[in-house]
Amino acid sequence: MEMEMEIEGEKQHKFDVDLGNLMAFDSNHTFPSQPPLSREDLVKQCLLKGTHLVQAIADALFTSPSTEDVDGPLVNLPPPLTKLPREKHLPKPKPPTKWEVFAKKKGIKNRKKDKIVYDEQSGTWKRRYGYDRANDEDAVPIIEAKETDDPEEDPFAKRKENKKKRVEKQEKNRLQNLKEAAKFGALPSHVQLAATALPITGTQAAPKKVTKDELGNVAGIAAAATASGGKFDKKLLGEKPAKHAGKYRKFLPVVEGTGIGSQEREQTEKILNKIISKNSHNILNVEKAVTMHNVKKEKKRRSEKGKVSPTDNKLKTGKKSFKKGNFKKGKAKGK
Amino acid sequence: MRPLDEKETSAVFEKLFKFVGNNLKNIVENPSHEGPDANPGRYCFRLHKNKIFYASESLVKRATNVARPNLVSLGTCIGKYTHGGSFHLTVQALNLLAANAKHKVWLKPQSEMSFLYGNHVLKSALGRITDNIAAGDGVVVFSMADVPLGFGVAAKSTQDCRKLDPNGIVVLHQADVGEYLRMEDEL
Repeated sequence: MEMEMEIEGEKQHKFDVDLGNLMAFDSNHTFPSQPPLSREDLVKQCLLKGTHLVQAIADALFTSPSTEDVDGPLVNLPPPLTKLPREKHLPKPKPPTKWEVFAKKKGIKNRKKDKIVYDEQSGTWKRRYGYDRANDEDAVPIIEAKETDDPEEDPFAKRKENKKKRVEKQEKNRLQNLKEAAKFGALPSHVQLAATALPITGTQAAPKKVTKDELGNVAGIAAAATASGGKFDKKLLGEKPAKHAGKYRKFLPVVEGTGIGSQEREQTEKILNKIISKNSHNILNVEKAVTMHNVKKEKKRRSEKGKVSPTDNKLKTGKKSFKKGNFKKGKAKGK
Repeated sequence: MRPLDEKETSAVFEKLFKFVGNNLKNIVENPSHEGPDANPGRYCFRLHKNKIFYASESLVKRATNVARPNLVSLGTCIGKYTHGGSFHLTVQALNLLAANAKHKVWLKPQSEMSFLYGNHVLKSALGRITDNIAAGDGVVVFSMADVPLGFGVAAKSTQDCRKLDPNGIVVLHQADVGEYLRMEDEL
């Protein structure tokens, strides 16, 4: 009963709703100090309060003017009323660079310069900086010689050298200014990330500790770095022999892309040809050839003697193909 | 499982060449018709745990999914490397050799069993023999019904066989199908 009464009471007074931050706040809420609530009750009460607050936000949202959309009504949130504190501290002011100090002393003020400048050489308007810029010194193809010029010197090389020097000087100035800024802890965020890579902090990256394995590897490389692969070197006291004295065996891949590897196919082809060519002298069977020759001779003699019956031929010759050819021949001769 | 290196390949090929001669080309360039691939490729030789296997490429490709210690066999085991490092053909290579054999010997029916128990082929057992076998050639042994029984090395040339006495050895036994029973656990 008491609970219900409370809810009724809470419903009546309004919450402070900040729609911009989607936030609601009950400025009148007080936790009852007597009697002390148990933790469970406290959680329950907080949840209840939270429900009401969210409901208040929802109510405020649905009462504000909305536009209809495919996904449902859309509400434009008003600007937030509550000012939230900044998460990070404000950036520190950057110390003035050397040029800024000098300019202030001399009273030099930055003036806006035009992006486009008249180029006297081509008689057109060109960009002040960048590619195809106006009054580009480097783009001059012919440099007129003067009386005072040193004939040994290449004016084009000198021009290039000067440009390089200017760029280097600017880089040096930039780093100096960054160093100054780093002292005040006012480095720009993008430089801060790469600060160790720049020679501005004064401290270099900590030298990496060499592991035992790496040392071993280096020692192994050094030991084998002679003409003999370290074979005849004097071993130092306690020096172990190289782990891998010889080459590593390398095998062809088990499967190479689609189908048999071209390397493997090449290798088998090579060895096959080698073996076949090595045994190619066996193609001519001398014994067989001699027998054939003898049989032929015999036949010739017989045919000269007189008519020879085919059955006779069959008996005498062993090989079929040979028999056939010879048979015809014999017949022809016989006729 | 890995492909053979040059030395191993020539050892295997030389051994096969003794049996099949120039038909070795057929064995090496044998196109395969296995596997789901559109281009199944051909057969190739693989070495695994000292054994030489003759398998189609698509099978080899799929066998790579099995870890080396777990892989027992693939394709046909045609031989093995001995502890001493020489290559021996095993009886499983018989089909391959019989199909491409250059030198053949046919046994009389009554002496088939003797060969299948692991004995050498004697002159008396000889039913037929191909011409021009030289001593030391690889010979495939058939029954008179043209069933391949095993293979071995010719001890005498064909010419010498004619004059040999009946108890003389013609073919030195290397492997026979009886090994499937006798050496079941070794194969």
